[in-house]
Amino acid sequence: MSGHDMTGNQHQVRSDLPPLITAEKVNKHFGKFHVIRDVSTQFRQGEVAVIVGASGSGKSTFLRMLNRLETHDSGRIVIDGIELNEDMKHIDAVRREVGMVFQSFNLFPHLTVMNNITLAPRRLRGVTRAQAEEAARVLLAKVGLSDHAHKYPHQLSGGQQQRVAIARSLAMQPKVMLFDEPTSALDPEMIKEVLDVMKDLARSGMTMIVVTHEMGFAREVADRVIFFEKGQILAEAPPEEFFGSQKNDRIRAFLGQIKDGG
Amino acid sequence: MQGALSLLPAHWSREKRSAVAIAIAVALLVVFLWGMAIPLSWMPEPIGPAAEQFAEGARVTVQLTILAGLAGVALGVLAALAKLSKLPPLRWIANFYIWVIRGTPLLVQILFVFFAVPALIPGLQMSDFASACVALAFNVGAYNAEAIRAGILAVHKGQVEAARSLGLTPFMTFRDVVFPQAFRISLPPLVNNIVALLKDSSLAYSIGVVELTNIGNRLQASTFMPVHTLTTVAVIYLLLTTIMTQISGAIERQLDVERHP
Repeated sequence: MSGHDMTGNQHQVRSDLPPLITAEKVNKHFGKFHVIRDVSTQFRQGEVAVIVGASGSGKSTFLRMLNRLETHDSGRIVIDGIELNEDMKHIDAVRREVGMVFQSFNLFPHLTVMNNITLAPRRLRGVTRAQAEEAARVLLAKVGLSDHAHKYPHQLSGGQQQRVAIARSLAMQPKVMLFDEPTSALDPEMIKEVLDVMKDLARSGMTMIVVTHEMGFAREVADRVIFFEKGQILAEAPPEEFFGSQKNDRIRAFLGQIKDGG
Repeated sequence: MQGALSLLPAHWSREKRSAVAIAIAVALLVVFLWGMAIPLSWMPEPIGPAAEQFAEGARVTVQLTILAGLAGVALGVLAALAKLSKLPPLRWIANFYIWVIRGTPLLVQILFVFFAVPALIPGLQMSDFASACVALAFNVGAYNAEAIRAGILAVHKGQVEAARSLGLTPFMTFRDVVFPQAFRISLPPLVNNIVALLKDSSLAYSIGVVELTNIGNRLQASTFMPVHTLTTVAVIYLLLTTIMTQISGAIERQLDVERHP
């Protein structure tokens, strides 16, 4: 850890506990392309980390390594004490504790909203259908979609689908939630409803790692902003420092572009 | 005949309309199979006196189609999975199976199962009906494998990622997420295969199965009236394939959540 003040935002970052996620000198190649270079970092329980960077900088690839949707060539990734390696048992165990929200929602189109949310808990947590549905209704209320349980994904707007996807991940009661550009596929008027749900989640103490271009979100709820460039962590700092007195030219240029772009 | 569904009340939900359509078409099939002897018996020589035989032959044809069709879908799923497997031996077996079946005539396959299999494996002498079922099932299975494989490949990669990232095992991911979507995509070609199977089942007559074509052929040989007998056979096939297409169209609607809200 780079010694930054980790209490920046309003959450309870548990610096007293061992880190929830540790990445040590992680490397990955896509063919000859070295996408992730010697990345080391840690994430603590209760922390909200936002990863930013240009497209192709490796930020999504790194996020997807944290539940092994991508493999790493070398280095170590340890999640809640379990090392991610070839062992399928480890991978399945980690994936049950790590929720993931995708840019393209990836809801199951042949299942209703209710069944999208209850499928995994019913299969993996040994709960009855009634218990799973009760829990799902609580989650649907939390994301503001109580009236939509019986609908199919194609009957919902993009923002609604993404909120269902968040509820689906939360139904497994994960210890950490990964967000891979959760608002990038959304129309502007729907971005806010998804960000609001994510902000509520952050305030409830969920550990979150978010790859996004939404700098407002980073400023408002992040404890730490991580800047990826060419597969490396170029800088990491609390948002007020990252956005306020940025000395790095490359990052200043990036932030300028994001602002101009919208 | 494709549009028969639209005759049902428009204010019914899609599920209700297609469920009713499936029920009507299945009832129609049953009525047709067990009731056709009555109008047929009113017809003049040579059809009238043989009405009950035609009906029995049609029932055997449909039995062959349903049994071989169901087994063929199961075989198709297994072969498709084997073809997509990471284990090379499974891929080799599936490729060999599909290659042999698609590269040889169905008539040879039927004759092989009935005459050659018992010679190769003493004690495995099946009845003519069972032999025809086995040969037809393996035949349609090879064609189904390609349709199902294409369906599995057409399911978006993000679906598997979402399921796996929830912690679902590969088996659960296939059963609960990939297969239901793949099956929907595969359904139109599968239905084509089964309609083709209904017609191909006529080749079972070569090993003495008393199905529809066999009945017609015997009758035309004994009465010397090929036009009447073979026209009757053809019309019965035509009605059967039409009903089949209606049932499958309704099933398709029932399953197809995305395209017909």
